[in-house]
Amino acid sequence: MKPYQPAKLLRLHFTERDRCQGKPLYEAVIDKCRELKIAGATVFRGLEGYGDTAEIHRSHVLHRDLPIIVQIVDSAENIGRLLPVVEAMMDTGLIAVSDVSVIRVEKAP
Amino acid sequence: MLSKGSAKKVTIYVNEDTQRNLKALYESILTFLMNKGVAGATATRALAGFGGHRVLHTPNVEALAEHLPIRIEFIETAEKLEEILPTLYDMVSDGVIEVQDTNVLKVSMKKRAPEPKTPHERRAGSAKLMRIFLGEADRWHGEPLYDAIVKQLRMMEIAGATVYRGILGYGAKGHTHKKSFLHVSKDLPVMISVVESEEKLKQAAEAIESMLEDGLIVVSDVEIVRLVRSAPPEEAAD
Repeated sequence: MKPYQPAKLLRLHFTERDRCQGKPLYEAVIDKCRELKIAGATVFRGLEGYGDTAEIHRSHVLHRDLPIIVQIVDSAENIGRLLPVVEAMMDTGLIAVSDVSVIRVEKAP
Repeated sequence: MLSKGSAKKVTIYVNEDTQRNLKALYESILTFLMNKGVAGATATRALAGFGGHRVLHTPNVEALAEHLPIRIEFIETAEKLEEILPTLYDMVSDGVIEVQDTNVLKVSMKKRAPEPKTPHERRAGSAKLMRIFLGEADRWHGEPLYDAIVKQLRMMEIAGATVYRGILGYGAKGHTHKKSFLHVSKDLPVMISVVESEEKLKQAAEAIESMLEDGLIVVSDVEIVRLVRSAPPEEAAD
Protein backbone atom coordinates (compact mmCIF):
# COMPACT_ATOMS: atom_id res chain seq x y z
CA MET A 1 0.00 0.00 0.00
CA LYS A 2 1.27 3.42 -0.96
CA PRO A 3 1.88 5.93 1.85
CA TYR A 4 -0.56 8.76 2.39
CA GLN A 5 0.51 12.18 1.16
CA PRO A 6 -0.62 15.35 2.92
CA ALA A 7 -2.89 17.53 0.77
CA LYS A 8 -5.70 20.08 0.95
CA LEU A 9 -9.37 19.64 0.16
CA LEU A 10 -11.16 22.73 -1.09
CA ARG A 11 -14.94 22.84 -1.12
CA LEU A 12 -16.88 25.61 -2.81
CA HIS A 13 -20.56 25.99 -2.05
CA PHE A 14 -22.76 28.11 -4.31
CA THR A 15 -25.83 27.59 -6.47
CA GLU A 16 -26.64 26.42 -9.94
CA ARG A 17 -27.90 29.88 -10.87
CA ASP A 18 -24.58 31.62 -10.19
CA ARG A 19 -22.94 32.62 -13.43
CA CYS A 20 -19.56 33.94 -14.48
CA GLN A 21 -19.10 35.63 -17.84
CA GLY A 22 -22.21 34.10 -19.32
CA LYS A 23 -21.66 30.49 -18.34
CA PRO A 24 -22.54 28.61 -15.19
CA LEU A 25 -20.10 29.39 -12.40
CA TYR A 26 -19.35 25.70 -11.81
CA GLU A 27 -18.26 25.30 -15.43
CA ALA A 28 -16.15 28.44 -15.18
CA VAL A 29 -14.51 27.11 -12.00
CA ILE A 30 -13.69 23.77 -13.65
CA ASP A 31 -12.23 25.54 -16.68
CA LYS A 32 -10.13 27.73 -14.42
CA CYS A 33 -8.89 24.69 -12.48
CA ARG A 34 -7.77 23.08 -15.73
CA GLU A 35 -6.07 26.27 -16.80
CA LEU A 36 -4.16 26.40 -13.50
CA LYS A 37 -3.23 22.70 -13.88
CA ILE A 38 -5.06 21.63 -10.72
CA ALA A 39 -5.00 17.82 -10.33
CA GLY A 40 -8.76 17.31 -10.41
CA ALA A 41 -12.12 18.79 -9.56
CA THR A 42 -15.62 17.39 -9.21
CA VAL A 43 -18.98 19.19 -9.21
CA PHE A 44 -21.89 17.78 -7.20
CA ARG A 45 -25.46 18.96 -7.27
CA GLY A 46 -27.36 18.86 -3.99
CA LEU A 47 -31.02 17.96 -3.60
CA GLU A 48 -31.98 20.90 -1.47
CA GLY A 49 -30.26 23.49 0.66
CA TYR A 50 -30.06 27.03 1.89
CA GLY A 51 -27.26 29.44 2.54
CA ASP A 52 -26.36 33.02 3.25
CA THR A 53 -29.49 34.53 1.78
CA ALA A 54 -31.68 32.05 3.70
CA GLU A 55 -33.37 31.30 0.41
CA ILE A 56 -34.29 27.66 -0.04
CA HIS A 57 -32.62 26.26 -3.12
CA ARG A 58 -34.64 23.55 -4.74
CA SER A 59 -35.79 22.45 -8.14
CA HIS A 60 -38.51 24.79 -9.37
CA VAL A 61 -40.92 24.04 -12.19
CA LEU A 62 -39.43 26.47 -14.65
CA HIS A 63 -35.87 26.85 -13.54
CA ARG A 64 -33.41 24.96 -11.45
CA ASP A 65 -31.66 26.60 -8.57
CA LEU A 66 -30.06 23.75 -6.69
CA PRO A 67 -27.02 23.91 -4.42
CA ILE A 68 -23.69 23.16 -6.10
CA ILE A 69 -20.60 21.85 -4.33
CA VAL A 70 -17.23 21.76 -6.08
CA GLN A 71 -14.62 19.54 -4.46
CA ILE A 72 -10.98 19.96 -5.36
CA VAL A 73 -8.06 17.98 -3.92
CA ASP A 74 -4.48 19.07 -4.54
CA SER A 75 -1.25 20.04 -2.78
CA ALA A 76 -1.33 22.96 -0.34
CA GLU A 77 0.70 25.01 -2.81
CA ASN A 78 -1.71 24.50 -5.73
CA ILE A 79 -4.77 25.13 -3.58
CA GLY A 80 -3.10 28.33 -2.36
CA ARG A 81 -2.63 29.39 -5.99
CA LEU A 82 -6.25 28.61 -6.86
CA LEU A 83 -7.92 30.19 -3.83
CA PRO A 84 -7.59 33.90 -4.71
CA VAL A 85 -8.71 33.18 -8.27
CA VAL A 86 -11.93 31.39 -7.35
CA GLU A 87 -12.61 33.90 -4.60
CA ALA A 88 -12.66 36.63 -7.25
CA MET A 89 -15.01 34.59 -9.43
CA MET A 90 -17.57 33.84 -6.71
CA ASP A 91 -20.30 36.27 -5.78
CA THR A 92 -21.99 34.80 -2.72
CA GLY A 93 -21.03 31.42 -1.45
CA LEU A 94 -18.79 29.54 0.89
CA ILE A 95 -15.23 28.33 0.61
CA ALA A 96 -14.02 25.62 2.99
CA VAL A 97 -10.48 24.24 3.15
CA SER A 98 -9.45 21.19 5.15
CA ASP A 99 -6.33 19.11 5.66
CA VAL A 100 -6.51 15.63 4.21
CA SER A 101 -4.23 12.67 3.43
CA VAL A 102 -4.43 11.18 -0.03
CA ILE A 103 -3.42 8.12 -2.01
CA ARG A 104 -3.37 8.67 -5.73
CA VAL A 105 -4.06 5.39 -7.51
CA GLU A 106 -2.74 5.29 -11.06
CA LYS A 107 -2.32 2.14 -13.05
CA ALA A 108 -0.01 2.09 -16.04
CA PRO A 109 -2.06 2.22 -19.28
CA MET B 1 -25.13 -19.39 18.44
CA LEU B 2 -23.84 -19.73 14.91
CA SER B 3 -21.46 -16.98 13.86
CA LYS B 4 -19.01 -16.18 11.08
CA GLY B 5 -16.08 -18.58 10.79
CA SER B 6 -15.48 -22.30 10.65
CA ALA B 7 -18.39 -24.61 11.39
CA LYS B 8 -19.70 -28.08 10.58
CA LYS B 9 -22.22 -28.94 7.93
CA VAL B 10 -24.25 -32.07 8.49
CA THR B 11 -26.21 -33.86 5.78
CA ILE B 12 -28.54 -36.72 6.67
CA TYR B 13 -30.11 -38.98 4.04
CA VAL B 14 -33.23 -40.92 4.99
CA ASN B 15 -36.31 -42.32 3.28
CA GLU B 16 -39.52 -40.37 3.36
CA ASP B 17 -41.47 -43.27 4.78
CA THR B 18 -39.03 -44.37 7.48
CA GLN B 19 -40.91 -44.20 10.76
CA ARG B 20 -39.83 -43.47 14.29
CA ASN B 21 -42.28 -43.56 17.19
CA LEU B 22 -45.24 -43.46 14.75
CA LYS B 23 -43.92 -40.30 13.11
CA ALA B 24 -41.91 -39.78 9.95
CA LEU B 25 -38.21 -40.02 10.82
CA TYR B 26 -37.32 -36.77 9.04
CA GLU B 27 -39.95 -34.92 11.08
CA SER B 28 -38.59 -36.40 14.31
CA ILE B 29 -35.09 -35.29 13.33
CA LEU B 30 -36.22 -31.74 12.51
CA THR B 31 -38.18 -31.48 15.78
CA PHE B 32 -35.17 -32.76 17.70
CA LEU B 33 -32.84 -30.23 16.02
CA MET B 34 -35.23 -27.38 16.72
CA ASN B 35 -35.58 -28.36 20.39
CA LYS B 36 -31.82 -28.50 20.71
CA GLY B 37 -31.57 -24.91 19.47
CA VAL B 38 -29.84 -25.65 16.17
CA ALA B 39 -29.56 -22.46 14.09
CA GLY B 40 -31.57 -23.85 11.19
CA ALA B 41 -32.22 -27.04 9.26
CA THR B 42 -33.73 -27.75 5.87
CA ALA B 43 -35.28 -30.96 4.62
CA THR B 44 -35.57 -31.43 0.88
CA ARG B 45 -37.26 -34.23 -0.99
CA ALA B 46 -35.13 -35.58 -3.77
CA LEU B 47 -36.45 -36.25 -7.25
CA ALA B 48 -35.02 -39.75 -7.32
CA GLY B 49 -32.24 -41.76 -5.77
CA PHE B 50 -31.07 -45.06 -4.41
CA GLY B 51 -29.39 -46.20 -1.24
CA GLY B 52 -28.16 -49.20 0.68
CA HIS B 53 -31.17 -51.29 -0.32
CA ARG B 54 -30.24 -51.02 -4.01
CA VAL B 55 -33.78 -49.97 -4.97
CA LEU B 56 -34.15 -46.99 -7.25
CA HIS B 57 -36.70 -44.69 -5.64
CA THR B 58 -38.37 -42.76 -8.41
CA PRO B 59 -41.71 -40.98 -8.78
CA ASN B 60 -42.25 -42.79 -12.10
CA VAL B 61 -43.10 -46.10 -10.43
CA GLU B 62 -46.10 -45.59 -8.20
CA ALA B 63 -45.23 -48.33 -5.76
CA LEU B 64 -41.82 -46.79 -5.13
CA ALA B 65 -42.96 -43.16 -5.07
CA GLU B 66 -43.52 -43.29 -1.34
CA HIS B 67 -39.92 -44.15 -0.65
CA LEU B 68 -38.36 -41.02 -2.08
CA PRO B 69 -35.11 -39.87 -0.47
CA ILE B 70 -35.15 -36.95 1.99
CA ARG B 71 -32.05 -34.91 2.63
CA ILE B 72 -31.77 -32.90 5.86
CA GLU B 73 -29.04 -30.28 6.05
CA PHE B 74 -27.93 -28.06 8.87
CA ILE B 75 -24.89 -26.03 9.87
CA GLU B 76 -23.73 -25.72 13.47
CA THR B 77 -20.63 -25.07 15.54
CA ALA B 78 -18.35 -28.03 16.31
CA GLU B 79 -19.23 -27.88 20.05
CA LYS B 80 -22.96 -27.94 19.43
CA LEU B 81 -22.58 -30.82 16.99
CA GLU B 82 -20.66 -32.84 19.57
CA GLU B 83 -23.60 -32.42 21.90
CA ILE B 84 -26.30 -33.58 19.48
CA LEU B 85 -24.48 -36.07 17.28
CA PRO B 86 -24.84 -39.10 19.62
CA THR B 87 -28.63 -38.75 19.66
CA LEU B 88 -28.74 -38.23 15.89
CA TYR B 89 -26.59 -41.31 15.43
CA ASP B 90 -29.11 -43.27 17.44
CA MET B 91 -32.16 -41.80 15.64
CA VAL B 92 -31.09 -42.49 12.08
CA SER B 93 -31.90 -46.19 12.03
CA ASP B 94 -31.90 -46.40 8.24
CA GLY B 95 -29.85 -43.84 6.35
CA VAL B 96 -26.57 -41.97 6.17
CA ILE B 97 -25.11 -39.11 8.25
CA GLU B 98 -22.34 -37.05 6.70
CA VAL B 99 -20.34 -34.30 8.44
CA GLN B 100 -18.05 -31.87 6.67
CA ASP B 101 -16.05 -28.79 7.60
CA THR B 102 -17.48 -25.58 6.27
CA ASN B 103 -16.94 -21.85 6.52
CA VAL B 104 -19.81 -19.57 7.46
CA LEU B 105 -19.57 -16.27 5.59
CA LYS B 106 -22.71 -14.55 6.70
CA VAL B 107 -25.40 -15.06 9.31
CA SER B 108 -28.19 -12.55 9.25
CA MET B 109 -31.70 -12.52 10.48
CA LYS B 110 -34.56 -10.24 9.55
CA LYS B 111 -36.35 -8.67 12.45
CA ARG B 112 -39.75 -10.21 12.86
CA ALA B 113 -41.62 -7.08 13.83
CA PRO B 114 -40.71 -3.40 13.63
CA GLU B 115 -39.05 -2.32 16.82
CA PRO B 116 -40.91 0.11 19.00
CA LYS B 117 -39.54 3.61 18.57
CA THR B 118 -37.16 4.32 21.41
CA PRO B 119 -35.30 7.54 22.08
CA HIS B 120 -31.86 7.55 20.52
CA GLU B 121 -28.56 7.60 22.30
CA ARG B 122 -25.87 10.08 21.31
CA ARG B 123 -22.38 8.73 20.81
CA ALA B 124 -19.60 11.15 19.95
CA GLY B 125 -15.98 10.47 19.13
CA SER B 126 -13.27 10.97 16.60
CA ALA B 127 -13.14 8.96 13.40
CA LYS B 128 -11.88 9.15 9.84
CA LEU B 129 -13.73 10.19 6.73
CA MET B 130 -12.60 8.61 3.48
CA ARG B 131 -13.62 9.93 0.09
CA ILE B 132 -12.95 7.83 -2.99
CA PHE B 133 -13.06 9.56 -6.36
CA LEU B 134 -13.65 7.46 -9.45
CA GLY B 135 -15.56 7.46 -12.72
CA GLU B 136 -19.04 6.07 -13.29
CA ALA B 137 -17.78 4.03 -16.26
CA ASP B 138 -15.05 2.28 -14.24
CA ARG B 139 -15.81 -1.40 -14.03
CA TRP B 140 -14.79 -4.31 -11.84
CA HIS B 141 -15.31 -7.81 -13.24
CA GLY B 142 -18.20 -6.63 -15.36
CA GLU B 143 -20.10 -4.61 -12.78
CA PRO B 144 -19.84 -0.91 -11.97
CA LEU B 145 -16.81 -0.27 -9.77
CA TYR B 146 -18.75 1.89 -7.30
CA ASP B 147 -21.18 -1.00 -6.83
CA ALA B 148 -18.33 -3.44 -6.27
CA ILE B 149 -16.67 -1.11 -3.76
CA VAL B 150 -19.86 -0.70 -1.74
CA LYS B 151 -20.36 -4.48 -1.70
CA GLN B 152 -16.74 -4.97 -0.62
CA LEU B 153 -17.17 -2.41 2.19
CA ARG B 154 -20.33 -4.15 3.29
CA MET B 155 -18.58 -7.49 3.42
CA MET B 156 -15.81 -5.90 5.53
CA GLU B 157 -18.53 -4.73 7.93
CA ILE B 158 -17.76 -1.06 7.41
CA ALA B 159 -20.39 1.06 9.15
CA GLY B 160 -21.72 2.78 6.04
CA ALA B 161 -20.96 4.23 2.63
CA THR B 162 -22.68 6.71 0.33
CA VAL B 163 -22.20 7.05 -3.42
CA TYR B 164 -22.53 10.50 -4.98
CA ARG B 165 -22.69 11.25 -8.67
CA GLY B 166 -21.13 14.50 -9.80
CA ILE B 167 -22.42 16.57 -12.68
CA LEU B 168 -19.08 17.77 -14.02
CA GLY B 169 -15.43 17.13 -13.31
CA TYR B 170 -12.01 16.02 -14.42
CA GLY B 171 -9.20 14.15 -12.77
CA ALA B 172 -6.67 11.40 -13.23
CA LYS B 173 -7.86 10.47 -16.72
CA GLY B 174 -7.61 14.07 -17.87
CA HIS B 175 -10.91 14.10 -19.73
CA THR B 176 -13.94 16.10 -18.71
CA HIS B 177 -16.86 14.15 -17.33
CA LYS B 178 -19.88 16.07 -18.46
CA LYS B 179 -23.53 15.57 -19.25
CA SER B 180 -25.16 17.76 -21.87
CA PHE B 181 -28.44 17.87 -23.75
CA LEU B 182 -27.08 16.32 -26.90
CA HIS B 183 -25.02 13.54 -25.52
CA VAL B 184 -25.69 11.68 -22.34
CA SER B 185 -22.41 10.94 -20.68
CA LYS B 186 -22.12 7.53 -19.12
CA ASP B 187 -18.92 8.53 -17.38
CA LEU B 188 -19.81 11.12 -14.79
CA PRO B 189 -17.59 11.55 -11.76
CA VAL B 190 -18.51 9.43 -8.75
CA MET B 191 -17.50 9.92 -5.12
CA ILE B 192 -17.99 7.42 -2.33
CA SER B 193 -17.77 8.66 1.23
CA VAL B 194 -17.17 6.37 4.18
CA VAL B 195 -16.92 7.19 7.88
CA GLU B 196 -15.25 4.62 10.13
CA SER B 197 -12.64 4.13 12.84
CA GLU B 198 -9.04 4.66 11.73
CA GLU B 199 -8.14 0.98 12.00
CA LYS B 200 -11.05 -0.38 9.96
CA LEU B 201 -10.72 2.37 7.40
CA LYS B 202 -7.09 1.44 6.84
CA GLN B 203 -8.11 -2.11 5.91
CA ALA B 204 -10.84 -0.78 3.66
CA ALA B 205 -8.44 1.62 1.92
CA GLU B 206 -6.06 -1.26 1.19
CA ALA B 207 -8.82 -3.36 -0.33
CA ILE B 208 -10.11 -0.47 -2.41
CA GLU B 209 -6.69 0.57 -3.62
CA SER B 210 -6.32 -2.81 -5.30
CA MET B 211 -9.71 -2.40 -7.03
CA LEU B 212 -9.24 1.16 -8.30
CA GLU B 213 -7.72 1.62 -11.70
CA ASP B 214 -7.14 5.35 -11.51
CA GLY B 215 -8.61 7.47 -8.84
CA LEU B 216 -8.02 9.21 -5.61
CA ILE B 217 -8.47 8.19 -1.98
CA VAL B 218 -8.72 11.13 0.39
CA VAL B 219 -8.76 10.68 4.16
CA SER B 220 -9.49 13.34 6.75
CA ASP B 221 -10.06 13.51 10.49
CA VAL B 222 -13.63 14.05 11.57
CA GLU B 223 -15.61 14.26 14.75
CA ILE B 224 -18.67 12.08 14.65
CA VAL B 225 -21.92 12.29 16.49
CA ARG B 226 -23.80 9.05 16.09
CA LEU B 227 -27.42 8.80 16.93
CA VAL B 228 -28.15 5.18 17.77
CA ARG B 229 -31.25 3.48 18.98
CA SER B 230 -30.67 1.65 22.21
CA ALA B 231 -30.89 -2.11 21.67
CA PRO B 232 -34.23 -3.71 22.53
CA PRO B 233 -34.20 -6.06 25.54
CA GLU B 234 -32.82 -9.49 24.61
CA GLU B 235 -35.48 -12.06 23.92
CA ALA B 236 -35.25 -15.25 25.91
CA ALA B 237 -33.66 -17.94 23.79
CA ASP B 238 -36.26 -20.31 22.44
